[in-house]
Amino acid sequence: MSGQDLRYYILFEDYTHGMALHELMLADGIPHRIVPAPRSLQGEVSCGMALMVKPCDIEAARACIERHRAAHHSIAALEGQIRPRRDRYC
Amino acid sequence: MADYVQMWKDLGMDIEAHDLLCQVLPTAVGDVFMSQENRPTAMDFWDMVIAEVHGIRPAELLEAQKQGRKVFGTFCVFVPDEVVIAADGIVTGLCGGSQFWVPAGETVLPRSTCPLIKASVGARLSKTCPFFRIADMYVGETTCDGKKKAYEILGREVPMHIMDLPQMKRPKDIVKWKEEIAEFAKVVEEFTGNEITAEKLGNAIRIVNEKRKALKRVYDARKSECLPISGRDALLMIQISFFDDPERCAKMCNRLADELEQRIRDGVSVVPEGTKRILVTGTPLAVPNWKLHNIIETSGAAVVCEEMCTGTRYFENLVDETAVTLDEQFMALSERYMKNNCACFTPNTGRIDDILRLVKEYKVDGVIDCSLKFCCLYDTEKYNVSRALKEAGVPVLSLETDYTDTDAEQLRTRIGAFIEMLQ
Repeated sequence: MSGQDLRYYILFEDYTHGMALHELMLADGIPHRIVPAPRSLQGEVSCGMALMVKPCDIEAARACIERHRAAHHSIAALEGQIRPRRDRYC
Repeated sequence: MADYVQMWKDLGMDIEAHDLLCQVLPTAVGDVFMSQENRPTAMDFWDMVIAEVHGIRPAELLEAQKQGRKVFGTFCVFVPDEVVIAADGIVTGLCGGSQFWVPAGETVLPRSTCPLIKASVGARLSKTCPFFRIADMYVGETTCDGKKKAYEILGREVPMHIMDLPQMKRPKDIVKWKEEIAEFAKVVEEFTGNEITAEKLGNAIRIVNEKRKALKRVYDARKSECLPISGRDALLMIQISFFDDPERCAKMCNRLADELEQRIRDGVSVVPEGTKRILVTGTPLAVPNWKLHNIIETSGAAVVCEEMCTGTRYFENLVDETAVTLDEQFMALSERYMKNNCACFTPNTGRIDDILRLVKEYKVDGVIDCSLKFCCLYDTEKYNVSRALKEAGVPVLSLETDYTDTDAEQLRTRIGAFIEMLQ
């Protein structure tokens, strides 16, 4: 998977873990966004939020997790999640 | 979102149907918000809220109920939050902005009802929205005929109080609304068991005024030619503000405004120089209705202001904080709320004055006046809005839409042509 729209999703069992890693990554200057966990990944974990990271930043994110021993469930890679002109609304 | 499944079950929600709603949220959030580059970092709060939209805040409300506090669900910017807060109650918005809820609403309402009303009723009847399950009392108002009839149906399910909003703005109408607010205060006192004193109401007025000031700071940043935030992000912020704790809302909006003001000083814009600036006016855009903003902003323009209930009407005009007695405070509340220029009033020339003023303040290139299908009031008012804007030399596009995705391509064509015309 090397498409331009590839994104990594860091998943959590509890949103407080997600917010803790969000703060750590902010402090380390690692670009990321808080997102609802993609549907195809939700069955694996019990938490709705995920941290989305671009491929160029994922190694820094992994290092941050390792360095701080940050609690998380897993990291998944998905393509095709973001299409601004898809026009599929809620 | 299995963390909350037990909570949703305890609320009597339809878990399977609710799961269908949860399926579409990540896709829409990804497409509308995560496709943007260089979003303000402080949007992380609203990203978090929307990622856990049926989890974190409902859990907070349930915890407050355990402490004996009452939750009041509202549908309109005319209901004064200050009165509820003064009685240690909590206000949550209830307007439905999703097509998912429309079919359930159509089981009891005519199809020729606006989607906002159908979605609001459907959210309750389909048992798929925790906010509609949690609210101890719904507070309606007589703004439009569709809502009035819908409240009769919702009132069979949940304790309901209706505020009788005058339809004109004569001095006696201001007094009439003051009396409605005083009567609402009695209802809230009785329902919560807490007395509303002038001191408590004065404090509540200050809390809500601070929230209004914070929202205004974010909007003021959008007046800059160096646009520091997209319309989609600003819309999300204001949509969530109807659901959030007012003091936290003010804190987070001020945090965002700090960043936006710094961006302006640093010359950081979310759009290329020369991007056409659009003011959107019309019917409110209840969460998660992001269709119009997304189409505009993926067609080469930027939304810089919303003249609507989910926009400037929610925060413009402060309540006078110098009133001392309850009677004076009720009057101060009435005077502020009656400045809202809803299409339910006749005449409603104040709305046109507002649009013309905002066009100048936000350096707008064109106005999109959009109403929801079957919203007779806003649809009818388009004529006067369009005429006034044309006389002022401001390009205007009048649209009608609903919550479905089916007209997206048609909207893209019309909006794209309008933006092209502005070049």
